[in-house]
Amino acid sequence: MTMTNDAQAVLPPVPGLEDDDPPQLTPAQKKRATSRHLAFQGGTAGKLLGYFGMLAAVLLFFVPLYFIVVTSLKTHGDIYSNPISWLPNPFAPENYSYVINEVRFDKYLRNSVIITGILTVVEVSLGVMTAYGLSFLRFPGRNLLFLLVIASLMVPNQITVISNYALVASWGWRNTFQGIIVPLAAVAFGTFLMRNHFLSLPKEIMEAAELDGTGFFRTLFRVVLPMSWPTLVAFTLITVVNEWNQYLWPFLMSDTDAVAPLPIGLTQLQDNEGLTNWGPVMAGTVLTTVPMLIVFLILQKQMIKGLTAGAVKG
Amino acid sequence: MTAVTTPAIPGLETTTSDEPTKRSRSLNWRHIGLAAILIVPNMILLGLFTYRPLIDNFRISFYNWNISSPDMRFVGLGNYIEWFTDDTSWQIARNTLIFTLVAVIGSMALGLALALLLDQHLRARNMVRTMVFAPYVISGAAIGVAFQFVFDPGYGLVQDVLGRLGLDTPAFYQHSGWALFMITTTYVWKNLGYTFVIYLAALQGRRSDLDEAAEIDGTPAWRKFWRVTLPQLKGTTFFLSVTVLLNSFQVFDIIQVMTEGGPFGTGTSTLIYQVYQETFVNNRAGYGAAVATIMFLIVLVVTLVQVKLQDKQD
Amino acid sequence: MATTRRSLLGMAGAGSAALALAACAGGSTSAGGGGGGKGEEGDGSIQFWSNHPGSSKDLEQKIIDAWNKDNPDNQAKLIDGGASYEELGQKFNAALAGGGLPDLIVASDVTWFNFAFTGTTTAMDDLWKEAEVDSDDFVDTLREDYEYDGKHYGMPYSRSTTLMYFNTEVMKKAGLPTDKGPETWEQFAEWAPKILDANGGKPAIVIPDGSDYLDWFFQGIIWTFGGNYSKEWTPTFTEQGSIDAATFLQEQVAAGHIGIEKDAANAFSIGNSSGLLQSTGSLGGLKESAEFDFHTTYLPGPTPGACTGGAGIAIPEGISDERKVMAMKFADFLTSTQNTITFSQATGYMPVRKSAMEDAEETKYLEENPNAMTAIRQLSENTAPQDYARVFVSGGGQRIGAGLDRIAIAQEDVATVMKDLQDETQKVIDRDITPNL
Repeated sequence: MTMTNDAQAVLPPVPGLEDDDPPQLTPAQKKRATSRHLAFQGGTAGKLLGYFGMLAAVLLFFVPLYFIVVTSLKTHGDIYSNPISWLPNPFAPENYSYVINEVRFDKYLRNSVIITGILTVVEVSLGVMTAYGLSFLRFPGRNLLFLLVIASLMVPNQITVISNYALVASWGWRNTFQGIIVPLAAVAFGTFLMRNHFLSLPKEIMEAAELDGTGFFRTLFRVVLPMSWPTLVAFTLITVVNEWNQYLWPFLMSDTDAVAPLPIGLTQLQDNEGLTNWGPVMAGTVLTTVPMLIVFLILQKQMIKGLTAGAVKG
Repeated sequence: MTAVTTPAIPGLETTTSDEPTKRSRSLNWRHIGLAAILIVPNMILLGLFTYRPLIDNFRISFYNWNISSPDMRFVGLGNYIEWFTDDTSWQIARNTLIFTLVAVIGSMALGLALALLLDQHLRARNMVRTMVFAPYVISGAAIGVAFQFVFDPGYGLVQDVLGRLGLDTPAFYQHSGWALFMITTTYVWKNLGYTFVIYLAALQGRRSDLDEAAEIDGTPAWRKFWRVTLPQLKGTTFFLSVTVLLNSFQVFDIIQVMTEGGPFGTGTSTLIYQVYQETFVNNRAGYGAAVATIMFLIVLVVTLVQVKLQDKQD
Repeated sequence: MATTRRSLLGMAGAGSAALALAACAGGSTSAGGGGGGKGEEGDGSIQFWSNHPGSSKDLEQKIIDAWNKDNPDNQAKLIDGGASYEELGQKFNAALAGGGLPDLIVASDVTWFNFAFTGTTTAMDDLWKEAEVDSDDFVDTLREDYEYDGKHYGMPYSRSTTLMYFNTEVMKKAGLPTDKGPETWEQFAEWAPKILDANGGKPAIVIPDGSDYLDWFFQGIIWTFGGNYSKEWTPTFTEQGSIDAATFLQEQVAAGHIGIEKDAANAFSIGNSSGLLQSTGSLGGLKESAEFDFHTTYLPGPTPGACTGGAGIAIPEGISDERKVMAMKFADFLTSTQNTITFSQATGYMPVRKSAMEDAEETKYLEENPNAMTAIRQLSENTAPQDYARVFVSGGGQRIGAGLDRIAIAQEDVATVMKDLQDETQKVIDRDITPNL
């Protein structure tokens, strides 16, 4: 879904003569531009409904999340108190220091950052490239290739792990970063998402660029991607989260905290036969989640920025 | 660039079509070459790490193979026959169906509602957006663990709230129906962030000129949503229906942590859980491979049907 | 995007292309394919795969550090084996298929047998001689748990037993002894109403449910009624003794004397029951979290009324002979008298060496911690090795646990459920075990 540049008050931009600065907007136009994307514009009634809905959403989401955080600050006895204690009593922030010290948190965190970072860059690049090729190039079998991409999402990872383990181990990649990263780097979801989006872009933009003589790759970076910003950001976000939480494959591939990411380090906190103290386990969960939330906050601003960059209106 | 058709004038384009232009019955070698560069790396990764194990898995499904053993015994279609004649298979299939249906419909409808809600300019929407997305960020295993504090009939949140209202708490862990409810609710709660983010990106990227036109026309909010916004989300809805379906077939962590597929052995087992159980607990890798193949075929058929339906609509 | 006949035909083409790719890529999963062949060499270090039972990671590392100091040429490495015995099994199976075998693994009471049966872990008797391990010093029952077909395929490491815990205050109030438990389950049934009265109707004991090893806890119970899960390879669920035991369980649950909980240990520690049937491994955690005094007792008899559990050490068959001997030496150190004392005191598992009982410091510890002593004494007086149907038949624990859930929680007809268990177990034995015996 995208903005077209056909506006009412301004001459259509001539392909090839555009410069890259966004057109100057009058203050009134700016105001209209920002208020444009309201799905419901029902005035006060709509706003009330909106706030009510938000309250419901907050309750639904906030309460379990609050519970997780609050449990991470409780002592073992307090966690199971009956009735439930809504506030920790006593307050136990030492759960966090316990986790950080007990679990060599810094090492696992570093590994997670490396693995997730590399995987995200690789997957987003491959996804965009593949989608771009599948959307705008004409060659025999392109629909088939796309079906193959989707079909790969149907393969459960339980059955791929042993086979991949055999292959990757035979390359000598056990307990290495590349052993963990390479098999996870194939992109199906992102390809699907971006191709879906690319196909929805209006044809005239592409053909205008073609006419103008913009190179194939230049078109990608100068024309297509800027129009795809929100979706691209969503893609990046989902990828980051998925790879951050990977467990099974990194577990099989890694041996020590030299390469193992956070989800594996945290299993240490659970006890097999005795009583697990859930406080530190929840603390570990919170510590693992917070970086992702920060990433979300940063990226979702980009999503909006991407919108206003393309929302040129007369 | 070879432009044979007359250049399209922005704003005057009337049709968008996906068909290759009539001229190219001959191979466009430039395109094929570009396609090779763009698409082949990803396809190699997919082929190596997803398709190769899939084919392997298919081969294994014709054997009786104790996963630790060096020996395999050919049984032909024996594993498949066994699955179709086993009583538990039908309960597992039923669980999978219910879980998937509710997960797909639930997370899409609620995700869309939330995206619409939080697309508007309401105060604190950034914070609420983060809260909605947060569950998606937390790993399935951690959520499964955390939600015992929600659902446990002894010390959970639900029993606390219901108790205050004077109601009895269902035995979530010990009653098949309630256990399935628990798993499904937990998963939908966790997955809403995904549908929310994708819908939000789509909403943010939609055509504001159409919105404006509707405003100018004075279209009421509901009608505007139905006639203007929703059709633009068709592509996204299709995308989500496919990916959420595929995702929900693969849900494993939540089930394993909360119920281990129980109660009563198969109360909340889905096809993917059965694959794990048979392969790694019952040590029957051949049978597990057969179940995985059956699951893959089911998902493939369902997805093809979805694609066909989407095509019909276009 | 149109799905045309062309694209369907194309899919067939892609299928064959993928097959070709599979053939080219090689390294396919197969029996004995990939690595894991005979005599695999290591990288010079001793790889110990552990899931750190009893939250013992630091402890294991300390033991390894001590070993490394004395053995600079044969350093040991602690490798992460996951969160549970099942995950460790998964990783080991992957290594069997693909190579990279470790030197030692931790294997639980239900996972060790399949490896032994398929010949992927090695028999230890010869290794004991070669590495000069004093195998007689292992507690007899613990060592014999790993015996199969005349050889031993594991050695005890983090071993536990089932134990009963009682809230001392409540027992006093009920006028019942606080230095021992009921002598038989019949006596328990007599005590139960008194216990309920003394504690506001809360269950006399809680037992974990099928997803949390109810089948393990019930093993001892079924023996006291003269039943078995199986006698060697013959399932005996439908024998009278087994049926009686299951009926007893069902009736006691229906009467509210016994509670079945997902998280029994926590239910007990917050006071939702007067007693608990759990592992010795829970002792440490309960000491910390329970806010009342409790005492531990044997499970009711007649002997044997309890079984052992926990995990032992196994050594892969596919590694080179030098690696095996070295691994055995390390395993010997890992389970040495001193180390097993430290380990058991920190985790709540039992010491695996007889000589540990003669150690002065340990005896002192046990005097000060009578609850820890109960498990050790029960070991020789009230336990027996588990039935094949649970530990030797793949998926046995899960299967029996699900069946017991149906009996106790869903209150289904006992005879029907036991017949189902009988048939299913027999089916698995016929299909998977008998052809390979």
